[in-house]
Amino acid sequence: MQAEVAQLARISAGDAAAFGQWASSVESSLRGTLRPFAALCDCEAVLQEALLRVWQVAPRFKHDGKANALLRFAVITARNVAFTEMRKVAATPTELDVLHRSLEAQGDVSPKTPDPHLREALQKCREKLPAQPGLALTARIERADDDHVLAASVRMTLNTFLQNVTRARKFLAECLKKAGVDLDLELSP
Amino acid sequence: MTPEELLLLEQVVSAHRERTVDGVIKSHPAWHDLDAAGRVAAFDETMKQRTLERSADRDGRSSTVKAVLARLTR
Repeated sequence: MQAEVAQLARISAGDAAAFGQWASSVESSLRGTLRPFAALCDCEAVLQEALLRVWQVAPRFKHDGKANALLRFAVITARNVAFTEMRKVAATPTELDVLHRSLEAQGDVSPKTPDPHLREALQKCREKLPAQPGLALTARIERADDDHVLAASVRMTLNTFLQNVTRARKFLAECLKKAGVDLDLELSP
Repeated sequence: MTPEELLLLEQVVSAHRERTVDGVIKSHPAWHDLDAAGRVAAFDETMKQRTLERSADRDGRSSTVKAVLARLTR
């Protein structure tokens, strides 16, 4: 708890590195809480907007003394952003009913612990990637830039770039599975 | 999933998002072209992709976190 309070103090004081460390630790859990919204709004945009709002509000945020205070606040913020985005699409009463039931069923949220074998296995699998898919995937991983820009940076057309990223992700998933790392487990609550 | 839908899905998995004039992050245009099943598939692929990105990055940051950090103002 002390470490969490200290981290919040650094974030509140404007320490972007501390915010990056916190955001990285909670990203998977926070994104997972948005799964009921997946068909109704672009959850990547929702998540980024929610994280930016958390950063903005952090200087005024008061820790309630319970674990994962900022994460719980981020979950509420992300849901609010998602509901705002949802109003732009015409959700049916059935979709809304399913959504509310899914949200009510969500339990306490806490940061997920990464698979300790993943980093090493991923490094080995990336070394086995064919050249073009490897180039495309590295461009995607290193920069959150427009796909047209990324494709041009590796001298590919947009479609070829996207196809190579798909091939690379499929190759890695299969390679990791052989190494005993099942990425589908990441989707479990 | 058709090849066209796969191209749309791959675009949605990207962490790159434009902003509106008042600074709010916009949905990816390709997301609107996917049907409900495609959107859920894109969500699941994004979950897996970001896990890989955090593991591949020296500082443990995914492309989502990098995109957010690049936009921090206070």
